[in-house]
Amino acid sequence: MDSSRKQQVAVSELVHPKGAIRSPARPLPELRNLRTWASLLVVAVLAVLPALSGSFLLYSLSLCFANALAVLSVSVLVRYGGEVSIGHSFFVALGAYSVAILEKHFGLGLWISLPAALALGFVAGLLFAIPSRRMSGIYLAVASMALALCLPELLIHMERWTGGFEGLYISRDLVPGVSKAGQRYYLALAALVLVCLALAHFRGSRQGMALLLARAHPRAAEAFGITRSWARISIFALSATLASLSGAVLAFASSTVSPNSFTLWSGIFYLVGSVIGLQGTSLIAALIGGGVITLIPQYLASAGDYVPILYGAALLIVTLVANSGSGLRRFLPGKAA
Amino acid sequence: MQSANLAPPSPQPGALIAHGLNLSFGGIEVLKGVDLDLRPGLVTGLIGPNGAGKTSLFNCLTGLYRPTAGRIALGDTGLDALSPARRAGLGMVRSFQHMALSPDLTLLENVMTGLTLSRRSGWASAFLPLPGGRAETQDAQRRAMAALDELGIAAAAHLAPPELPPGTQRLGEIARALVAHPRVLLLDEPAAGLNAVETRDLTRALRRVMHPGLIMVVVEHDMDLIMQLCDRIYVLNFGKVIACGSPAAVQADPEVLRVYLGADDE
Repeated sequence: MDSSRKQQVAVSELVHPKGAIRSPARPLPELRNLRTWASLLVVAVLAVLPALSGSFLLYSLSLCFANALAVLSVSVLVRYGGEVSIGHSFFVALGAYSVAILEKHFGLGLWISLPAALALGFVAGLLFAIPSRRMSGIYLAVASMALALCLPELLIHMERWTGGFEGLYISRDLVPGVSKAGQRYYLALAALVLVCLALAHFRGSRQGMALLLARAHPRAAEAFGITRSWARISIFALSATLASLSGAVLAFASSTVSPNSFTLWSGIFYLVGSVIGLQGTSLIAALIGGGVITLIPQYLASAGDYVPILYGAALLIVTLVANSGSGLRRFLPGKAA
Repeated sequence: MQSANLAPPSPQPGALIAHGLNLSFGGIEVLKGVDLDLRPGLVTGLIGPNGAGKTSLFNCLTGLYRPTAGRIALGDTGLDALSPARRAGLGMVRSFQHMALSPDLTLLENVMTGLTLSRRSGWASAFLPLPGGRAETQDAQRRAMAALDELGIAAAAHLAPPELPPGTQRLGEIARALVAHPRVLLLDEPAAGLNAVETRDLTRALRRVMHPGLIMVVVEHDMDLIMQLCDRIYVLNFGKVIACGSPAAVQADPEVLRVYLGADDE
């Protein structure tokens, strides 16, 4: 009896991709403290870094932070929705182009375009989630891929608005008089830290817990009034809003948007970043995921075609270690504190 | 043996009534004209051999299946067109045969999910530590803790379900079902996967949480649990109710004995 139960558990872990990487509900208290301190230390170091380092490093790090937000948007979908999207580049592009188009055609700065990007991301998330709410697993992933595939064509086709192949530049400052590099860096850092704090709070909220129950046992959740449609639509809208925020930050931090930055590969890389951060929604997990997908292509630009191979290797290593069942994974990031 | 009479449901305020339920899957009749009268303050058992239609009947009550004919009502409210989530809103909760706690939440948090329908905090409170949302969360924690305490498993509140023995997980599920003070508690094989000691603890806990306003319905194979727990038992066979009455009356019913022990005395 006992052994058959165990066997059942083992088999279900194998066939249930959502449970493939699983950590205990709450890490040990001392470990949580350690993580909080580590996160504070990281934030402190990042906050004083501009005084010490050159502008290229700051530029790279701003992109890291923006990509970390995109990675978070995918991780949130995986962790709370149990679903995988490879088309999040669509929502990221939506945010990025909102900022660029509102500046270029309407002369509006980030104070207006950032909230607009968030609102658009939210609406786009709803518009995608409502018709696809009954799809899951590979079918949802493929549907999201369609979004990502149509995007570059759309951007090129709407050349009058989007600038076509060349894209658009973003030059307006958020706070006039402050150095450009500094503004970009601190906006991206602040957005990332605030989102991580909000997500940590979300984990203990009514909605967060309802989503976690719905992910593990949809029928049980339904018995407590949490419908599948509500769960899917909420988590997708949230994830798309985050992705759009990441796009807006990315556009501001890099001062430019172009169709090349939002291909299907970007969507896949966000997913890679999410897996490497063990689908965690903590600051450190997001930074690891965002860092890997930003810095590897930058510093290994000469390696060119080898980048996807490196990603593949990283994915394999992370997946194997996370599923090794050893005590090792306790020390990996990957749980909302 | 007046117990074997299939008395028609008599109206009683707040009772869960099923009348003339039929259910068929592609020509196979699973339920044939089942009448149930489930009253507040009573624990009602649904038993019967494998394939008798217990689970189908249970799923009709919870709203997972739509009966092909017949009506189900809770008090004055007809339930026929309501989804499981809407029935939950009327105060009907259920437990599951397989453990259905989230492994990502602590036991306490799992119990708190049972309060989802009664909580009102909006999305702003989900992301920001607003005073209203915090007060509500604290209140939910307190109520969930009280429910765990009532079932005697408060010590496990901060552990994750996979770390807990099946008996504790099952009690946790029952705490989650009871935390919002439901009118109807439907238990689907609560003793499945539990050992004898755990089953005994479960029986005691269920007796303890029973109160005059609660309709408790148990589908179960474990006869010890059924006989100790239930006030009233319906016996099903081939989709029909063949007996109904107190545990003692049902145990002495010749038809029930024949179904359970075989017809070797003929």
